[in-house]
Order: sequence, then structure tokens, then C-alpha cells
Amino acid sequence: MANYLAVFAMSWDILSGYTGYVSFGHPFIIGVASYATAIMTGRMGYPLYASLPIATATGVGAGMLFFLPGLRLRGNYFCLITLAFMIVAHSLVIAVRPDITGGTKGIPGLPLVVTGAEPNFYLSLGLVLGIGFFLWYIGRSDLGRIFNAIRMDEDIISTAGLNSFKYKLLAFTFSALFASIGAVFYTHYIGTVSPSSVFAVTFLINIIVAALIGGQNTILGSIMGAYFITYLLEYLRPFELFAGPQRFLLYGCIALGIYIYNTRGFYGIAQDIAKAIKRKRGKSEQYGQVTGST
Amino acid sequence: MAKLLEVRNITKRFGGIVAVNNVSFHMEEGEVLGLMGPNGSGKTTMFNLLMRTYKQDSGEIYFRGKEISKYPTHQRVKLGMARTYQIPRTFHEMNIIDNIHISTRPDQVGKLMGIREFTEKERELATGVGLEDHMFKYPHELTMGDLRRLELAKVLAHNPKIGLLDEIFAGLTLKEINEISDLIRHKREEGLDFIIVSHDLRALAPLVDRVVVISFGEYIAEGPYEEIVNHKKVQEAYFGY
Repeated sequence: MANYLAVFAMSWDILSGYTGYVSFGHPFIIGVASYATAIMTGRMGYPLYASLPIATATGVGAGMLFFLPGLRLRGNYFCLITLAFMIVAHSLVIAVRPDITGGTKGIPGLPLVVTGAEPNFYLSLGLVLGIGFFLWYIGRSDLGRIFNAIRMDEDIISTAGLNSFKYKLLAFTFSALFASIGAVFYTHYIGTVSPSSVFAVTFLINIIVAALIGGQNTILGSIMGAYFITYLLEYLRPFELFAGPQRFLLYGCIALGIYIYNTRGFYGIAQDIAKAIKRKRGKSEQYGQVTGST
Repeated sequence: MAKLLEVRNITKRFGGIVAVNNVSFHMEEGEVLGLMGPNGSGKTTMFNLLMRTYKQDSGEIYFRGKEISKYPTHQRVKLGMARTYQIPRTFHEMNIIDNIHISTRPDQVGKLMGIREFTEKERELATGVGLEDHMFKYPHELTMGDLRRLELAKVLAHNPKIGLLDEIFAGLTLKEINEISDLIRHKREEGLDFIIVSHDLRALAPLVDRVVVISFGEYIAEGPYEEIVNHKKVQEAYFGY
């Protein structure tokens, strides 16, 4: 689960963390890809390995169709329009053709890509490492610099001779592609899909919080954040005091505390510690040199 | 001489306010043109129209005889137009060399996949405008004079034919004004033409071949600087008499 949350958080980060276009509609893309593969394998009898690429393409395509007009908007308006897609999609899968979508119950009994905890862990870890490395590389390249520059001042990107819309669209495509890949594998990991599992505000919050407390705009931080959230929620589960929503209250407080302590999240904290160690080493070496000379 | 840039009957309205009203002017190849006018006369709006930051309501813009009225900003930059901003605009989380680097990048995704530190071209650009000691500083660490130099470096990074300099002398010391003026003269000798907007007429006068004056969005006059400052309408616009 932590690995899939990491994939979703990284795919959110490449759009929202880098370009500053904060998407509240990430579960919409994930949901469309999940339902596409669920309907193809569970209702239409498609083989699993045929449905994986088709459903991924469906997720990216649906995202393009709906988010393209959204990319013409900025700031809060972009957030709201993306949130609206998620809410509308939640209602649509319940109300329209429940014989296909399964209504509120969703579609259970889907085939699994691999069975067993260990193979599933290594499969999802492979996804995290593959997607993580690609996005980390993009983040460090000139393309990543331009994505960052869009967040800082989009207007002067054009004055720099660059077509800002093209780069926003590219960031969005990466984001939608990797969210969709994560979605189809996740669906065939848990073997079921329902409106409340994908088109849900709590799911959205988990993705955003993982990216933020891990370290926005770092990719690697999203992995740290996803692992932290997943293990924290699982760790709290056996405690009676945190049996219900209290678990999320405590999780929210801890996440907020980390973010207040350092807005660059775990990644920023790790960077600060590394710098402090380096400084300390530098000082002790200097001290050694001085004492050695006397 | 051939016309480098021509503006024909251009108008821009913001709701009920007419910011630029049916203004026409042109500049020749090899010329430095001054754009003058009192506060709020529409000079920066004109720059924003020339670079398509704003879309005009009517009128046309020609660059080297080609109509570019519908070209977006990045295409105008590729054609050879580049600008500075009245209030310097930078990527605040990037150091100076990275700010310049962004302006040197080709608009092709395939050529942006590499990881690099900085190139000789960026070092030359920074050195050329006198920022060699500040390459790894951040914009908030620079003086206004150095920010203006950075703006100039970003313009020069495009190797443009025409540089639009908006209030390039604002907030500078006399020494900095002289240094920037020398830089403009030097670049002119290398074949770069400029349109300069400035309130500092003493700094502007020695640099320009000709000036165009606008007031309240209306074209008033154009001609050599010495003639224009004594023009009755210009004096009315500036001094009210």
C-alpha cells in the first residue's frame, strides 16, 4: 500500500509540486483508470495484460479531456475545477449504469497481477523505483527547471522564449500517466474497486499529505511521506484510543507538526541534518589541523 | 533603411478605460527609439502589446515586414524580440546563472532532458553585463542595478534583433546608469536595436536617435530628442502648460 501511495504522491508532485498547479482531481484520473481496467477484466472478459495498457491510456485520455480546459486556469480556480471532476465522477459511477460500474458496491473479484504478499511487494517496489527514478531525473533536468520556473513566474517563461502551455501539458501528461499506471496495478493488487475507495476526499488528502510532508517538489520526499503515512496509520490501528476517526485526527496533527517544523518536509529535514553533519565534520577537521600544527 | 518594427493603429481598452488609442509608429533597422510619456501614458501597455502580454483590441504589428499581431509571446521572442520589465522579474528560487540559463534553453522538449550545471555561454552573458561576481547568488541578494543587469543578460541570451527596455534606469545610481548606458551603446555597435522607455530623460537623451511621445494613450509627437522636448504638445503633456 505504501508503495502505491508513493506512486500516486510522486505523480501528484510532478504536476502540483513542480509547476504549482495544485490538483485536487488526482483521484479522478486514478479512478477512471481503475474503473476502466475493472470493467474490462471484470465485466467484459478482457485478459488482464491487455487491459493494463488500455486502462492506463484511458486514464491519461480522460485526464486530458477534462483537465486541458483546466490548464487555462490558474491558482484556486484550477484547484476547484479539478476537485469538481472528482466529485462529479463519484456521483456518475454510482448513478449511471450501476449494472456495469457496480454502483456503490463497485466491482469486486478482479484478477490479480501476482498473488502473495512478497511478489506484490516487489512488484509495487519495482514501480516505485522505476517511476521514482524517471521523475527524479526529470526533476533534475532542464525540463524540471522549467516546471519549477512555471511555479515561480509563469509569465516570464514566455518572455524566455518558451511555450509555457506545452510544458504544463507535459507535466500533466507525466502526472496522469504515472497515476494511471499506479491505479491499474493497485486495482489488480486489492482485487476490487469502489467509488468510496478511489473518488474519495480522504484518498486525495493522503496523496497530498504524503507529497507535502515528504517534501514538495523533490519526488524522493513523496516516497518518504507515503511510507510514513502508511506505517503511522497501521501502527495506530491496534490502539483502542485511535480505533475510529481519532486515528486520522492524530495523523493530521502529526503531519501538520512536521510541515510546520519544516515546510520542505522529511526531505528538507534530511538535508538539514546532512548539512549539519558536514559542518560539524568540517569544524572538527579544522580543529584537528589547528591542534596538529601546534 | 528598412522598417524593423511597425505599429499600425493599435488600440487597447481595459473595460471603459482606453489605455492605448489608435497609436501608430515605426522604427528603422539600426535605430534606437525612445518611448516617452508622463506616468500612466501607456508606455508599458505598449510594451505589453508589442510582446503579446496583452492582446490588442484592434490594429496590427509588423516585424521586419511580417504581420505578427497574432503571434504568442514565445514566438515573437524566437523571431528576435526580447524585453525587460519595469520591476525586474526573476525566478526567485534560482540563482543568477540558472535565471540566465532558462533564457538560453531551446523550446524543444528533446533538448531539455539533459542534466547540466552551466555553460560557457551563460558565463559569458553574466560577465558581459558585469554579473561575474554574482553568478551563484539569488535575486534577493542583488541590488537594483544588478537586477537590471540580469534583465539585460536575459534579453541578450536570445540574441535578439530588438530589445525592449522598460524603465531600465529606474532606481539606479548615476554610476550604474553610466555603466548600463555604455552596455547599451556597446550592444548597439554589435547590431542590436532598442526601444527604451525611461523617465530619466537625461539618461535617455544620449542613447536615442528618435523619440515617440504618447500621453493618455494617444500619440502626440515623434522626432529627434532635442526637437521633441521643445514641442508644444509634449511640454503640455509633461508640465501642463
